[in-house]
Amino acid sequence: MITVRLFGMTKSLAGNQMSLSLALANGQRVKDLVGFVNDRYPMIGELIHKKKILVSVNQEIAHEETEIHEDDEIALLPPFAGG
Amino acid sequence: MEQTSIDESQLVRVQREDFSVDAEIDRVRSRSKRIGGISIFLGTARDKSKGRDVDGITFEHYEGMAQKKLREIRQRAIKDYDILELLIVHRYGEITIGENIVLIIAGAEHRAEAFRACKWAIDELKQITPIWKLEHTPSGEVWVEEHP
Repeated sequence: MITVRLFGMTKSLAGNQMSLSLALANGQRVKDLVGFVNDRYPMIGELIHKKKILVSVNQEIAHEETEIHEDDEIALLPPFAGG
Repeated sequence: MEQTSIDESQLVRVQREDFSVDAEIDRVRSRSKRIGGISIFLGTARDKSKGRDVDGITFEHYEGMAQKKLREIRQRAIKDYDILELLIVHRYGEITIGENIVLIIAGAEHRAEAFRACKWAIDELKQITPIWKLEHTPSGEVWVEEHP
């Protein structure tokens, strides 16, 4: 199981959850994770495809081919609005 | 090495509580006697956004990653601009209209580089730092998407 942390609007889009638990196998890639997310939360999936929501792995912005391992810290990052 | 990391943790902070602009200026000033120009950007909470009334703001941040990105901004500013120090403090949690949100202070020998580094740092902060803004309006709460 992989835990995906949610921030900002992604929490509301996922029904006010703080995180998602996805049954992702060790070594699968970000694109597989996006597929899982898209099946359950198509609005989040669409925003990831539009690059409005970014995926981070271990606190770095990841790309589709980034591999995911069990202990990795994964998060969905909606558009930043600091400052 | 220990001294350097202690200093950096003071010079790049994400905190709930308000900050004193004077105290932070002194912190930058004390970093080098070569400093002859200090430029400041102070972001505060306004009561209108895109024509909507705003009653208050809540900032959320990604603990760890936000600090990491702010440290990167400080280090790149010191490397790419002719400045002696750059401090960044960003608040999180609930913020009342008129309160401080973010402070950037650049200290340089001369004003031009201090201004340039300060502007670059706030622009970059808005682009790469995982911080989110929830505006409380009379008609509900809105996550802000743009960074003007």
